[in-house]
Amino acid sequence: MSDLLSNLWLGFSIAGHPINLGFCLLGALVGTLVGVLPGIGTVATIAMLLPITFGLDPVGALIMLAGIYYGAQYGGSTTSILVNIPGEATSVVTCLDGHEMAKQGRAGAALAIAAIGSFFAGCVATVLVAALGQPLTKVALEFGPAEYFALMLLGLIFAVVLAKGSVVKSIAMVLAGLLLSTVGSDLDTGAGRMTLGMPELLDGIGFTNVAMGLFGFAEIIRNLEASGSGRDVIEGKIKGLMPTRQDLKDASWPIARGTFLGSLLGILPGGGAVVASFASYTLEKRIAKNPKRFGRGAIEGVAGPESANNAAAQTSFIPLLTLGIPPNAVMALMVGAMTIHGIVPGPQVMTKQPDLFWGMIASMWFGNLMLVIINLPMVGVWVRLLRVPYRILFPSIIVFCCIGIYSIDNSPSDVMIAAIFGVLGYLLVKHDFEPAPLVLAFVLGPLMEDNLRRAMLIARGDTSVFITRPISGVLIFISVTLLVLALLPMIRKRRDEVFVESEN
Amino acid sequence: MAEEAKSSPAGGGNFSLRIRGPRDFYGGLALIALAVFALWAGSDLAGMRGFSFGPGTTPRLFAWLLIAVGAAISISGLFVDGPPLESYALRGPAFVVCAIVVFAVTIRGFHFTFFGFPVKIPELGLIAATFLAYMISVMGGREIRWKESLIAGVAMTAFCVVLFRYLLQLPFPLWPAF
Repeated sequence: MSDLLSNLWLGFSIAGHPINLGFCLLGALVGTLVGVLPGIGTVATIAMLLPITFGLDPVGALIMLAGIYYGAQYGGSTTSILVNIPGEATSVVTCLDGHEMAKQGRAGAALAIAAIGSFFAGCVATVLVAALGQPLTKVALEFGPAEYFALMLLGLIFAVVLAKGSVVKSIAMVLAGLLLSTVGSDLDTGAGRMTLGMPELLDGIGFTNVAMGLFGFAEIIRNLEASGSGRDVIEGKIKGLMPTRQDLKDASWPIARGTFLGSLLGILPGGGAVVASFASYTLEKRIAKNPKRFGRGAIEGVAGPESANNAAAQTSFIPLLTLGIPPNAVMALMVGAMTIHGIVPGPQVMTKQPDLFWGMIASMWFGNLMLVIINLPMVGVWVRLLRVPYRILFPSIIVFCCIGIYSIDNSPSDVMIAAIFGVLGYLLVKHDFEPAPLVLAFVLGPLMEDNLRRAMLIARGDTSVFITRPISGVLIFISVTLLVLALLPMIRKRRDEVFVESEN
Repeated sequence: MAEEAKSSPAGGGNFSLRIRGPRDFYGGLALIALAVFALWAGSDLAGMRGFSFGPGTTPRLFAWLLIAVGAAISISGLFVDGPPLESYALRGPAFVVCAIVVFAVTIRGFHFTFFGFPVKIPELGLIAATFLAYMISVMGGREIRWKESLIAGVAMTAFCVVLFRYLLQLPFPLWPAF
């Protein structure tokens, strides 16, 4: 316990340094901006900003990138409530009740509850990351290749089960991602695999190119085809930012439940903020005394999901920092950011770079505090941004993405690869395939292959090693059970009800 | 229905059977095509050596699994009713891709041979490449206002030059070099 406190103290002293506070504020601002603007997501933004972090100090860079992720959760709720446009996939459900509340003239209360809920969730998640970090790191040291392989398999299965739409299609996306990840030099022999004789492919397909194509360019292509939706902005001054005592009372339990659910789903591999907000909404609706109020301005429908997505955004750092396994696409980009600075994510980060680990955790608390301040009084500024028409916005995003991708390696072929994945992403969406599992599999692919090969080598080709080793056996058992459950049609039907509107 | 870019000719209408879920059917076929392509591209790689994996083992494993799952999706598309194919937009994707490619080939210049003729695209540098890419993307939108876009394009170019070249000091060529 005293260890935890002294570590947290170290973290706060690092995160409280004026320069790091500045990066934290910058990250929170950019995150809010991205959250507010529809048509540009967290993954694409972090990918775009990766080259910018080159010249920065690693602690500051990671503090800023983390700020973008949880900042986007705040920003997304603002537009959901005021304009009925979810700026971020994580706040899709917030539209349902948040915008209804705004129509009834309670926009201020909805915004305030969303911010308070997010802040509470952020504080709890910060403590959770700090408290779970150390014990999990110890567990991670016990892990051999078989256990790592089994854990990543579990993560991919979670991604499949939690993705929207057909389970079989998600499995196909996972396999496609794994297959694409094998392009490039073989780890053991150095042989070029499936490079078609192109030297550019020897290093493999860059993750940022894939992410930018599938999430950045594909999104733009799809938006261009959608008809211009009428934006029904709540006009006039937002009054009464302070929620009433009754509002606070109604929202307190949903906030607590959302925080708990979100923290849990964030830690699970394959989970993340999107799933958390949907799960929380479903939970609130199911346990409500009068479920009919949902969709008509129930404050629980704002409080729960908004707390859940923020908690999940933060706790998803736990598997990354302790096990070195990114649980979702955003965390995969954080791996990229760490690699740029020569940091290998995993259990050794905490022992070798305690200032980075604890500084980043403590910065989350500062970031959340800043976000409450950025969001509540400055709501008007953010809403005005929505008046920027998409016809100006989208070419800017394209150009910015191009320069960003190019600058990572000074490589024009990377830009072309991103364009190819942009078209691919568009085709996938047209055929109801989800890109998220593909991206996660693409990141985990090389790690999985490496661990699979090592496990097989150690066991002298005996495949039963995955079942006979206790930890690995349990993980494989959970994976298989989950998959079987998901494939059972009855459960699939119910699952579709839950995630019917998920976007990411 | 409009162009189905990846459909295989085998999926044509000669069947007496109606394709009930064309989205799944063609999507599955495309995945199988991808996996077969990967198998072909990696056919030179060594497989298992004793109990140690060769470079070709995992790609082949993933490719065969993908073929199996792709086939399952296709077959279910034959028998289970699904939504019809949506028409593909051409204008948006074409201009967006064109803008990206133009940026890629002009930022540093690009040389290739086209049926024996050497083609040389000159290096235009950050300013021209950014502005060109901006204006080409504009044409992909539904509504084009040239004056407004020109101003926005110039502003965006200036912003990018200041940010990337001066603030971040990334080594971009700014001006054309012939």
